[in-house]
Amino acid sequence: MAVERDLWRLSAAELQRGLLAKEFSAKEITESALGRIAQADPEIHAFLELTEKAAYKQAARIDEALSQGTARECGPLFGVPIAFKDNMNLEGTHTTCASRMLENYVSPYTATCVARAIGAGGIPLGKLNMDEFAFGSSTETSAFGKTLNPWDRERVPGGSSGGSAAAVASGMACVALGSDTGGSIRQPGAFCGAIGVKPTYGVVSRYGVVAFGSSLDQVGPFARTVHDAACTLNAIAGRDPLDCTSQESTVDFTANLAEGVRGMKVGIVPAFMEAKGLSPEVRHKVEEAAANLAAMGAEIVEVALPNAQAAMSAYYVLGPCEAFSNLARFDSVRYGYCDPGHKDLGSQYEASRTIGFGSEARRRIMLGSYLLSSGVYNTYYYPAQQVRTLITRDYNEAFGKVSCILAPVAPRTAFKFGEIADPAEMYLTDMFTISINIAGNGGMSMPVGPGEETHLPIGVQLIAPAFHDELMLRAAAALETVYGPAPIAPDFDGLNDNAKAGE
Amino acid sequence: MKTLEETLRTWEAVIGLEIHAELTSLQTKMFCGCKLEFGAPPNTHTCPVCLGMPGALPVPNRAAIESIVLAGLATNCEIEKHSMFYRKNYMYPDMAKNFQTTQGPIAFCMRGHLDLAVDGAAAKERVDLGDCAVGEQCGNVTRTEDGYVAHVGITRIHMEEDAGKMVHFGGDEGRIAGATHSLVDYNRAGTPLIELVTEPDLRTPAEARLFMQKLRQIYLALGISDCSMEEGSLRCDGNVSLRRRGETKFGTKTELKNMNSFKNLHDGLAYEICRQAEVLEEGGIIYQETRHWDPTMKCTIVMRVKETADDYRLFPEPDLAPYDLTDEFIEGVRAKLPELPDEKELRFQRDYGLTPYDARHLVEHRETADFFERSMECAGDDAAAFAKPLANRVNNDLLAYLNNHAEVTLDALPITPQRLVDLERLLADGSISTKQGKEVFAALLEKDCDPAVIVEERGMKQVSDSGEIEAVVDEVLAANPDKVEQYLGGKTGLLGFFVGQCMKATHGQGNPQLINEVIVRKLSERA
Repeated sequence: MAVERDLWRLSAAELQRGLLAKEFSAKEITESALGRIAQADPEIHAFLELTEKAAYKQAARIDEALSQGTARECGPLFGVPIAFKDNMNLEGTHTTCASRMLENYVSPYTATCVARAIGAGGIPLGKLNMDEFAFGSSTETSAFGKTLNPWDRERVPGGSSGGSAAAVASGMACVALGSDTGGSIRQPGAFCGAIGVKPTYGVVSRYGVVAFGSSLDQVGPFARTVHDAACTLNAIAGRDPLDCTSQESTVDFTANLAEGVRGMKVGIVPAFMEAKGLSPEVRHKVEEAAANLAAMGAEIVEVALPNAQAAMSAYYVLGPCEAFSNLARFDSVRYGYCDPGHKDLGSQYEASRTIGFGSEARRRIMLGSYLLSSGVYNTYYYPAQQVRTLITRDYNEAFGKVSCILAPVAPRTAFKFGEIADPAEMYLTDMFTISINIAGNGGMSMPVGPGEETHLPIGVQLIAPAFHDELMLRAAAALETVYGPAPIAPDFDGLNDNAKAGE
Repeated sequence: MKTLEETLRTWEAVIGLEIHAELTSLQTKMFCGCKLEFGAPPNTHTCPVCLGMPGALPVPNRAAIESIVLAGLATNCEIEKHSMFYRKNYMYPDMAKNFQTTQGPIAFCMRGHLDLAVDGAAAKERVDLGDCAVGEQCGNVTRTEDGYVAHVGITRIHMEEDAGKMVHFGGDEGRIAGATHSLVDYNRAGTPLIELVTEPDLRTPAEARLFMQKLRQIYLALGISDCSMEEGSLRCDGNVSLRRRGETKFGTKTELKNMNSFKNLHDGLAYEICRQAEVLEEGGIIYQETRHWDPTMKCTIVMRVKETADDYRLFPEPDLAPYDLTDEFIEGVRAKLPELPDEKELRFQRDYGLTPYDARHLVEHRETADFFERSMECAGDDAAAFAKPLANRVNNDLLAYLNNHAEVTLDALPITPQRLVDLERLLADGSISTKQGKEVFAALLEKDCDPAVIVEERGMKQVSDSGEIEAVVDEVLAANPDKVEQYLGGKTGLLGFFVGQCMKATHGQGNPQLINEVIVRKLSERA
């Protein structure tokens, strides 16, 4: 079987067609993917660990099934190379959350989403870089080096799932899983020009995904086509008895993608479009996408989310509070970094956590610890929960009028490393995504081509009513007919140089 | 230091209890599927959830919720339909997540109460009831013939998880102070625990002990916990403060730990009350602190001083949805309520004609109460006549034996309800004497044997043949003419002497009642 094209460039659907047509094998897909990683990752640094053995083992399983004619029964991801954000446990691999604290931590068990993706036939490639414990919007807080934006290596890939977005955008992984607490799938998706889906809270089990903000975290896929994203979601969605916040999922997310948007009411939020800090090129792209949807028969309707501007404040109360408590378990006693030589528990705790955690993690822990302390709780935590109720109500009202909302993902395109040093300014990059986590419904980033000014990828955000994620996927699929699937970033000069040097 | 009684004349003790019970009858832990088993090798019943591994999530044990609702219904609590789990944040290695999952301001069970019947010696600790007439209500107590009934409020019963067990080495007597290293066993981590908090309604150590005993009976009747204070499945902390009699403001309280038996609970509280009184009487002040009862030294020792209230940063547990109990669920649980000790006590009085005292003491122990009931069934038509003697036998002899042999359970003894009834029949028809009855009873505890056979084997059959008895009496009277003379002269106290002589002559087997009758008759014939 001669392989004449780079298999790593293919979408999941193309890979599966080729497999079924016996044009190539799962082993060849795996070789191609790992080869692409070997070629591109030294430059991009999206991976923290590779799982080659597991990948080949899975490929053999798929090839065996192909020879038996039972490949489809493996599941919706059969033969699809997939990689996982490093906050997802996969038994036997390191799960570091890109933190010194967990540098040597080896997972004793596998997260449900990972188990389902592999169970559905996905070929596990490895674990992906991220902001430490998912605290950040640029992947710069990783303790294990930065990940470069495949479109411009002087720029960040976004975050916190920067590794996942960069891996998919550079063709190293066909699909990847990320997690989104305030925009951590959608914003890096936008920065890297990949599709990034944050489903409704409860669609995907969080069991085995290291928690940041338990009431906000949600796992979702990155892909280069809407179909691939929907297909991955099919594999990982659904009730998990190990996560009591997960829900039954009966939807086939790939089913109605081709239905189009004729007659669909799509909301635009004027306050978002007029927001201070929104760059003209991003606004222009959102308007262009709206016009394209309208041209395909959608009705564009203005909707108001009057309380959405309070989302950021509520998020920076609720997020740190939950993070403070979730990160308390990293105490150097049972696992994780343990600073040696301490005579008493208190100083061991203090030293281990000071050294083990990076500055952003420490900042959020301190913030959460303060916000939850008695006397302060009623001033912040409680009102933040009230804001949450109001924002949820806003979305419910808006979705009484429209099936889907179109909005920016990030106010601007990818910024340069070190460009945003002020944490508060960094937090603003999530201004359009955070309210969705607060309300709990689904949102996704859909690449709509490069901006006219920066020539960097821009994503528009599609927001769906809770547990109707298929609606935003349908609108995204309509946009895909205009903009095409997300392109793989052209190789860097550096990569080309290396390639030349290798000749 | 003054005695408790002296102290309580001047001071009123205000006591509240916090009672933790592990739901040992459940199969699995509170938030994961790990098996509950006491005494398993360390860290063999653990998983990512109860070890607090990164990414693990809790899933509540439904059966545990049912147990706590049972406990609430049995202690007259209101069941809150809408309640939530909270995270109580504090760092300690026995709590793997470094937060304990517990409940917030609203627990599953709120605002309950238990009524305690206090009598005998226990009632004497209440030195302030001198002016309270029988039937009168004085504060939270109602005076009765032989003591009083105290109405004790229950603030709440909430659901939480237990911590792991720590063992410290190299320090003093296994305590953490001075230890060189510590080990943690997480088998216990995540064990479902219900914590009952009382109102500060208790006034004496005896009341505290009775409350604890009563709660234990209830939990045992519900079958939700094995309630072993020794193994720690039932634990009690006491909050104690003093105020001068007549004062209404509460004094500063101390929290007392390590009271792992009813006796320790009583003695620890009694000591602490006397200690506080002494400090106060010498012009000192009580610090809010946690103290440890040392049963060997018979004193309480400071564990830690609480200068400021602990800040546990309590907030709703986002990994667990708020709990909504339906009426259907609550009624379903109510339907499973077994007969509770109070109800059983009333039924024993009503159906068997027992005195309140006998009934109460019978139901104090489920095993003996059951044994009594099964004996009553065996008694058949004689049940009414046998109720009192059977109750006495169980309450006195059987219980005494069990108390003196802590390692023995009633199930393991050869005695059966039928054997006990057979024994009572031998006593009722005069075949053996009361004294012989005790001997036969003791034998029944030792071996599986028919009482009639024991009587036969030991040749202890009571002589109730009147002809035989008359002959013996005639002999004795003939041998003691001077005593007969004195008796007839009015010294009737000599009757006992004659009976004793006759018993001696029958080698203790004569029926004393019959002998008595015959002597009296024969002497009166001579008069």
